[in-house]
Amino acid sequence: MAILEVKDLKKTFKQTPVIKGISFDMAEGEILGILGPNGAGKTTTLQMILGILTPTSGTVTIFGQNMPQDKTSIMERVNFSSTYTDLPWRLTVRENLIWTSYLYNIPDRARRLDKIKTIFRLDKLWNQSTSSLSAGQRTRVNLSRAYVNFPQLLLLDEPTASLDPEVAAYIREFFADQRTRFNTSIILTSHNMTEVENLCDRVLILKNGRIIGNDTPGRLAKKIDETHLNLRVTKRADILAQLIETSKLKSVETDGVTSITLKEKLLPLFLYEVAKNKIHYSEITIDKPTLEDYFLRIAKGKDHGKSTGGDL
Amino acid sequence: MKLYRLWGIALRYLFLFRHSLDRLSDAFFWPVVDLVLWGLTSRYFASTSLADNHLVLAFLGGIILWIFPWRGQYEISVNLLEDLWNRNLVNLFVSPILFLEWITTLLLLGVVKALVSFAFAGCLALLLYQANIFSLGWLLLPWGALLILFGWVFGLLIAGIVMRYGTRIQTLAWTAIYIVAPFACVYYPVSILPPWAQTISRFVPASYVFEAMRTTLAGGTVPLTNLIWPLILCLTYFLLAAYMIHRSFLHILKRGLISVE
Repeated sequence: MAILEVKDLKKTFKQTPVIKGISFDMAEGEILGILGPNGAGKTTTLQMILGILTPTSGTVTIFGQNMPQDKTSIMERVNFSSTYTDLPWRLTVRENLIWTSYLYNIPDRARRLDKIKTIFRLDKLWNQSTSSLSAGQRTRVNLSRAYVNFPQLLLLDEPTASLDPEVAAYIREFFADQRTRFNTSIILTSHNMTEVENLCDRVLILKNGRIIGNDTPGRLAKKIDETHLNLRVTKRADILAQLIETSKLKSVETDGVTSITLKEKLLPLFLYEVAKNKIHYSEITIDKPTLEDYFLRIAKGKDHGKSTGGDL
Repeated sequence: MKLYRLWGIALRYLFLFRHSLDRLSDAFFWPVVDLVLWGLTSRYFASTSLADNHLVLAFLGGIILWIFPWRGQYEISVNLLEDLWNRNLVNLFVSPILFLEWITTLLLLGVVKALVSFAFAGCLALLLYQANIFSLGWLLLPWGALLILFGWVFGLLIAGIVMRYGTRIQTLAWTAIYIVAPFACVYYPVSILPPWAQTISRFVPASYVFEAMRTTLAGGTVPLTNLIWPLILCLTYFLLAAYMIHRSFLHILKRGLISVE
């Protein structure tokens, strides 16, 4: 059952359409990534889902209730954390979490705050003023604030930006664990492609206010059929160069390693040609397409699926 | 409206009050400065027989009662600014709180802080000048209520303007209410004003309270019915200001709360 349904959502700022009619839904327990170049409309979409930006048209339904008409009851079960927001600087971490907890109907606040303190490793920061925290610590406190009501739907805008790798990994594990244990649904935007690839069940790609991709990270990556074959050639490098040229492939050489771009299905044939021509190499690696490759192609404006993989 | 949510918002500003020297000084330092400066000035006037002793109490009464509209306005507009400076408005409105709950809390905080500052300034006046503002008794209740309502009107208006135009016009939060102060006749009778200003003064509800205070301190009586017109004025202004701030909130929702600064 869909816990979130977005239907034909549009937003126009001063006659400029920013979101041009997007529709998608989300199942309970799903982790959905929203990717897109800067200005694609990711934050605008999140704001409309949260009811802090009025759409020009379209509807948002969460837990079967309409946003913004039923906002109060919806937001008891939803929360948000963003790099665009801060908590009051002069208050301590403890104070910030206390006042936030009172915005929700939480039966045992003291116990809840203790839990949050442990989960987000806030013991040492507990009585420090928010202004004295590092960017990473502040991100962690912001995330803990978003967990104060143990939301069933959590929207995260760049959740691990500015966290050190160890804490970022811990937080990612925590999100995954929350989904497993409590079926928490998460929408996240991130520029960390590895994070999105590892964490998300599905990714929406936004560009110029439209959804141009909506699939699993693996299937999106597979829409690019280019592979990079990297060879450190030790003998008959000139023959390899000829082979690349006659096959109309692209290649670059870095630190003695030749990286050849070709379609994945042509790889066995090319390697056969390499062996047949007695080209010796001491090192071989194959880089398969990733979500990042797909994203970069989208961001550059190339149609997905088209390739420069040659015609062996 | 849920009480726990109102308490949550109140806690956010009360915690700040504890940590913020400038907010503490606003509540206590400026009333002290005003009382010392104006109290001594009025005493000097009284001693040169330019005026009688009741002038001292009238001056001090003006200073002390002015705390009500000032704090009523200040709590709304400066607390909004705090949330804009701290980029905290989004945190508030991605929670279940209603716009009405947020505004209600700011209005009530204005009352609480006005009462604290009023009690502090009243005691200080008693201590420094043996001037007992509390001798006005129960009259302080309707006067204080009317004045704070007047302060709320300004608070809502300024907050509405700051929401629309952002922190670049934040100075209004500290200064705007002083635009109306000359017509509120805090320290002098309405009759002192030139005729055109007297006309404006008739539409400033606070002027009726300060006029009534001076009359009462001089030994006269002012029937409570005299406060009906200023009350009607105040309620009308309040409804208009409430409508205006609600429109401003809807306006910023069209831009998105994240972009408000």
